[in-house]
Amino acid sequence: MSRLTVKLGKLVLPNPVMLASGILSHGSLLEKALREGAGAVVTKSLTLKGRKGYETPVVVGVEEGLVNAVGLANPGYKDFLKNDLQMIKEKNRVIVSIAGDGPDEFVKIASSAEDAGIAAVELNLSCPHVKKHGLEIGKDPKLVRRIVKDTRGVLKIPVHVKMGFCDELIRSSLVAEDAGADAVVAINTLPAMVIDVYSRKPILSRICGGLSGPAIHPIALRCVYELYRELSIPVIGCGGVKDWQTATEFLLAGAKAVQVGSAVAIKGLKVFSEITEGLAKYLKEYGFESVDILMGSLEGKK
Amino acid sequence: MSYGKSVLAFEEFGFRPGKVERVVRETSKMVSVYIKLHLPNLPRPGQFLMIWVPDAEEVPMSVSGAGRRWVRISVLGRGKTTSKIQKLRRGDLVGVRGPFGRGFSLKGKSHLLVGGGSGVAALIYASKTISDQKKECVFLIGAKTSSELPFLREVKRLNQKLLMATEDGSAGYKGVVTDLVEPILIKKDFDSVMTCGPEKMMVKTVELALKHGVRVQASLERYMKCGFGVCGSCVLDPVGLRVCTDGPVFDGRILLQTDFGKFKRDAAGRRRPI
Ligand SMILES: Cc1cc2nc3c(=O)[nH]c(=O)nc-3n(C[C@H](O)[C@H](O)[C@H](O)COP(=O)(O)OP(=O)(O)OC[C@H]3O[C@@H](n4cnc5c(N)ncnc54)[C@H](O)[C@@H]3O)c2cc1C
Ligand SMILES: Cc1cc2nc3c(=O)[nH]c(=O)nc-3n(C[C@H](O)[C@H](O)[C@H](O)COP(=O)(O)O)c2cc1C
Ligand code: FES
Repeated sequence: MSRLTVKLGKLVLPNPVMLASGILSHGSLLEKALREGAGAVVTKSLTLKGRKGYETPVVVGVEEGLVNAVGLANPGYKDFLKNDLQMIKEKNRVIVSIAGDGPDEFVKIASSAEDAGIAAVELNLSCPHVKKHGLEIGKDPKLVRRIVKDTRGVLKIPVHVKMGFCDELIRSSLVAEDAGADAVVAINTLPAMVIDVYSRKPILSRICGGLSGPAIHPIALRCVYELYRELSIPVIGCGGVKDWQTATEFLLAGAKAVQVGSAVAIKGLKVFSEITEGLAKYLKEYGFESVDILMGSLEGKK
Repeated sequence: MSYGKSVLAFEEFGFRPGKVERVVRETSKMVSVYIKLHLPNLPRPGQFLMIWVPDAEEVPMSVSGAGRRWVRISVLGRGKTTSKIQKLRRGDLVGVRGPFGRGFSLKGKSHLLVGGGSGVAALIYASKTISDQKKECVFLIGAKTSSELPFLREVKRLNQKLLMATEDGSAGYKGVVTDLVEPILIKKDFDSVMTCGPEKMMVKTVELALKHGVRVQASLERYMKCGFGVCGSCVLDPVGLRVCTDGPVFDGRILLQTDFGKFKRDAAGRRRPI
């Protein structure tokens, strides 16, 4: 076993660097990300029915980040499991992200995904909940409990929950843990918008969107640090990872694995091998036998 | 901005304002728009821009001509955004990002260009560059009828050999443009073939070129949401290539291992037969 091997509950991954949800999205590209060195890949958040997403522009570059409002464009979970998943050889390294509209949808999609042979599910609790008029599910601890409990109740594979940055982050994460979640992914994008001064119009067709990339990394880092201290289940750091240093920061703050999204835009798919090679060197140089030993080994913490 | 570099900056995926300088009708279906824009480097033939028309959507458009301070796009009216672009007037503003993607490799001394529909836009810029490099080029252009054949005068000005095909026979050869490919490959030696247009046309062209042992590149038009490699909507299955960053120009031999000419993805990512 290499120094980079990580265990997330039942899930054993060759390295802790995953592709984040919504990046590359389609089966053949997820397969490519695995071949280029990702430890696991998370699918686009799948919904019950296919969605075209919002009109373009849906993603725009800003200093040190991207602002997006894609609108959960996806072919629908059935279509994805039938066509896209089949393009991926190692289904045991695929994590299916789910954006349900209430507990029943989460359960339905999660069970089909498990039957299709995937490694774990990631419940996207940071997407706006349509029935609740755009309120993020993660801001409603009661709803978090029901969704996690119901999904956990019917699955054998690990259930991860993906949280956004909000006042209820710690409380909702504790509730998710209590309801049986196997890991918490933090964080999703932060509320943002971009204006074109020449036309005096918002650029995204949906006006508002979410900020990702290096700009959010210090915020995500603090979230991971606090979650690590509060929870006993693993934390997966997401937000602004662009090199081995930013990935290592997450691990030191207590993450057991990291996810990479926006950096794919500036570095391409080679970003995965770049990070894992840098991390392996770091572990060796500083005498860490495994990622587990490095994890949370922040000096002077508490 | 530097597109040879292996790491890009996020700002390069933001929009710059482009002022419309001139609008020219090319055919009954195609309109060219000249946009004032400062680019540190000339785009390479085959590269494309993402054009955002406030009030409409953002769409990918090939560079059909460029200078130090301007770029040209040549647009077929297809739907909401393209008809808005066709109605732009001098002084209007559009948002521009790019140029994105890899262009054509212009290695070799003699080239055969095979274009149809909006694909002729990318090829006219390639033919200008080939001509600037004092290399030889034969241009085959196909359309339904003579009034839909673009850039005829421009090709003549470049002193290049031009062969036309129209489905109704109103100009040049009566039939489809791919009918002209094999005869000319037999008659003349080419170092490379470049094609852009409807996928079925390109499949035929790629097959014929490879049959005659000539290197062939095709430039693809697939549905795009971002244009710079994050969203995955432009994927070429099952090899996992992104048309926006790995293409839009691909080697023909690679394309034949993909869904090229068979399936493409729609805005939701569903696979649709072509
Ligand atoms: C790399 C590239 C270069 C292109 N170059 C040119 C060019 O030089 N000249 C030209 O006229 N056209 C070009 N196109 C095609 C052009 O982008 C589409 O015709 C345009 O997006 C249609 O938008 P619409 O709103 O007018 O049509 P809609 O009514 O929205 O759609 C009509 C059809 O256009 C296609 N389309 C729609 N939206 C997109 C999108 N975001 N990306 C790609 N295709 C889309 C779909 O196949 C759709 O069925 C190019 C496409 C690509 C990918
Ligand atoms: C274009 C785009 C689409 C995204 N789609 C999803 C999605 O469908 N589900 C999800 O949970 N997160 C989605 N995200 C958020 C990312 O998974 C990630 O949480 C966020 O981008 C922060 O990581 P990064 O800084 O590495 O990009 C998306 C992000 C981007 C940029
Ligand atoms: S258009 Fe988004 S990856 Fe190509």
